[in-house]
Amino acid sequence: MNTDIYAVLLLIVVVIWPLLLAIPALHARLPWPRHLAIIPAVLLAVLPGGASLELPWLLFGTGFAMEGESRWILAMSATIWFAAAAITKPSKHDFANQRTTTFFLLTLAGNLGAVLATDLVGFFCFATLMGYGFYGLLVQGGDEVARRAGCRYLIVLIVADLLLFEALLLAAFATENLRFEAVHEAMAGASSSSFYLWMVFIGFALKAGVWPAHLWLTTAFNSAPRSTALLLGGVPVAMGLLGAVRWLPLGEHAFGVSALIIQGVGVAAMLYAILRFFTHVSVKSLPAWTAVALTGLFIVALGGGLAHPALWRQYEFIAYPFIALVAIFLATLTFIIGRMQGAHQFPVVASQRVEMMSRWVNGWTEGRHQWANDRLLGLQSLWRVSWLKAARQYQRILGGQKLRDLTNGWDVKITLFVLLGLAIAWLAG
Amino acid sequence: MSWNNWLPLLVILSSLLPGLIIFGLAEERVRLRIALNLLGAVVKVGLVGWMLWGVYNGFHYEMRLPLLPGLELVLRAGPLSLLFVTLSAVLWLITTVYAIGYLEDSPNRSRFFGFFSLCVTATVGVALSGNLITFLLFYELLTLATYPLVVHRGTEAARRAGRTYLAYTIFGGALLLLGTIWLYTLTGTLEFTPQGGFLDGLGGEHRPALIIIFALLIAGFGVKAALVPFHGWLPQAMVAPAPVSALLHAVAVVKAGAFGIVRVVYDVFGVEFAAGLGVLGPLAWLAAITIIYGSLRALYQDDLKRRLAFSTVSQVSYITLGVAIAGPIATIGGVVHLVHQGLMKITLFFCAGNLAETLGIHKISEMNGVGRRMPWTMAAFTVGAFGMIGAPPVAGFVTKWYLGLGALEADQAWVIIVLAGSSLLNAAYFLPILYRAWFREPSGAWPEERDFGRKETAWALLLPPLLTAAMALSAGLLVMLPFSPLEWAKLIAAQEFYLP
Repeated sequence: MNTDIYAVLLLIVVVIWPLLLAIPALHARLPWPRHLAIIPAVLLAVLPGGASLELPWLLFGTGFAMEGESRWILAMSATIWFAAAAITKPSKHDFANQRTTTFFLLTLAGNLGAVLATDLVGFFCFATLMGYGFYGLLVQGGDEVARRAGCRYLIVLIVADLLLFEALLLAAFATENLRFEAVHEAMAGASSSSFYLWMVFIGFALKAGVWPAHLWLTTAFNSAPRSTALLLGGVPVAMGLLGAVRWLPLGEHAFGVSALIIQGVGVAAMLYAILRFFTHVSVKSLPAWTAVALTGLFIVALGGGLAHPALWRQYEFIAYPFIALVAIFLATLTFIIGRMQGAHQFPVVASQRVEMMSRWVNGWTEGRHQWANDRLLGLQSLWRVSWLKAARQYQRILGGQKLRDLTNGWDVKITLFVLLGLAIAWLAG
Repeated sequence: MSWNNWLPLLVILSSLLPGLIIFGLAEERVRLRIALNLLGAVVKVGLVGWMLWGVYNGFHYEMRLPLLPGLELVLRAGPLSLLFVTLSAVLWLITTVYAIGYLEDSPNRSRFFGFFSLCVTATVGVALSGNLITFLLFYELLTLATYPLVVHRGTEAARRAGRTYLAYTIFGGALLLLGTIWLYTLTGTLEFTPQGGFLDGLGGEHRPALIIIFALLIAGFGVKAALVPFHGWLPQAMVAPAPVSALLHAVAVVKAGAFGIVRVVYDVFGVEFAAGLGVLGPLAWLAAITIIYGSLRALYQDDLKRRLAFSTVSQVSYITLGVAIAGPIATIGGVVHLVHQGLMKITLFFCAGNLAETLGIHKISEMNGVGRRMPWTMAAFTVGAFGMIGAPPVAGFVTKWYLGLGALEADQAWVIIVLAGSSLLNAAYFLPILYRAWFREPSGAWPEERDFGRKETAWALLLPPLLTAAMALSAGLLVMLPFSPLEWAKLIAAQEFYLP
């Protein structure tokens, strides 16, 4: 057997193995089932060369492939899943343990299947499995906060799946071949391309928690157990972004106004996240707002690609590493904050939340002021201290009740931010 | 007459004869009754498999017996009839195993299994009918055979449900008879004619009469298909034992109604002729209203079987919708849902029966934490529920895929909104059940728990839902394989629309 055959076998095992292990009767008899389930994915990610497999008898004819750009996402997924498996704390109850392991493995199978899928239907199926599995992980805590987070996620998931299903129908109506490349070509010339674009964009924006559909994401980051919070960046967020890249006819067709609006949404998302970062952020939601900002940045790039196909073709190769790095960064941030909370450096209970930025800025400013007074007394340090003081003042103003009310408001906020984003996108364009 | 021509009759006799013998058996002859039931069911599946292979390879199976002057009893096996016959035969076998376990210590089992066999005989007769009069005879036999099953428990609620069922179905039968007679006086024939129906030659002067006849036939079949406003009997009939509910909702009664609508549109009027009369648009709207109405009513039911019953009201109308959209792709979606809905709904009713028989659970509010007590049953229920929502890769996804594509092909985008609304409502009434079962803590002791040792319930109760759930999953995953329900539906659509 040569390496290619191993790779093809691994392609199947990567998806089937976690699905099999998800059966409680099986994983209950094995040690480290969560870790075992990830091993084929790790092997596939490190094995040199690509592999592809066509399965015309499965679904409407689907396939899996391990190609250059998928390797980034697969490696990222395997890393994050391994980390999540390592930090999962077993419950005292057997049933809760088995249930969590089952949902963990179902989500893993869905995630890996979506990464390796070569067509829209395969991606959709695995992403749906991943979504419902992830819901199970979100609500496993069983308390009211977890239930609310799960409920928000579930609503978003159902609506997103409905939109993506409509997009899928439009694609299937335009072409019989639903492989990504064929759909890109077909939808670029289809009369329904704008409609398709919006269905796909909104569907995946909901799944990835892109502003203004980020509410579920912030709630989830606040309420999820550590191991699940670690997965948020790598599973729903990264797969949402990956889905948008794979489904949209990027590099094929120029979408004028639609692309501008999408860029505007991206800019508005970043501005909003930055604003929230300075005003409302609590320790545990720091990764959530970082995610909102980073997805906003990605949306700007996506909008750029939709507006200028040639530009996208030139820089397309950056998209996959970017998604992988976003996921890894968010997971790392979540992990560090989780460790700090675990060491009681930051309270986690909602009523005890600290205005983290306020403490940081205050502490840092005062520390630097003291240090400058004590040690340097030079003009340069005084200037720096003045700047820090100004920053603190600015932060206090932003933290005021009026602005809080404004940012807590919904419809006005969206309108203002989209308009602002659009203006910036237009000026930049 | 060759051996092959006797096959349709043999398929009918394979359940009729065991049924008649079972009627005469004493209650204590348990083993003989079980053996007869299973033998009949297995022989039927074997014969149907034989015909399936034959029809796939171009054979024709037809039997004609004189009935009245100018009218014959015609049994014919074509692609459309075999789709329904196969569904009924396979699900009857599985339901028989389930019913044996379900009614283990119940009284009047000979009566039950006698009518049970008669019911399937009538269903297979409906499926194999080659003309409208044969269809009508078996359709009415189905009404009479099902009534004793609905009232089997003998409670006041059961008798009331039985009366309602009889009132609705006799009214529907009367409309059907009126429409059939009127049609016969106009045309002089009632022979089902695939590829265009038999009304093509009628002149424009008959247009008002034909519209009324269409309405009479659809209303007649609509009663059993639970089309709004003729659906009232179905939620009441859920007082029947779980195997009967499975039979009513997935195998026989509602399917016979929906199948009747398919026959009227394709083989009596013909799609093009019906579209020319302008009757398919209102039929599509009626189906759409039923889909949304059934789902909305299901949302507010705490009784599990009642929620499933309203879900049936909604889901069966997908078949009517697919037919009424009038295009080859929508036809595939509608016709294949005959099978898909059957597989998914029978799974759900088996599971509801298991919960009732094992733990005494009848209400959704009693289902907290039931997933940890009966994990396999609830796993099967989960598959069925996701299929109803239309989530991939369960069979319901394939149905919605083809209905959606068919709507786009026919330029009827509003259908996609109806499908999306239905999916949303299905999620709204199925997912809370799953949440309760898997994530809530049990409220305390179960209402009436029976002890099955280390097993969650009896094997005869557990295996059928697991098998049907696996079939619903396979029908979605392995959709492109030859002999899959979808491939068979494509064969039917190709025949109706002259596709290569």
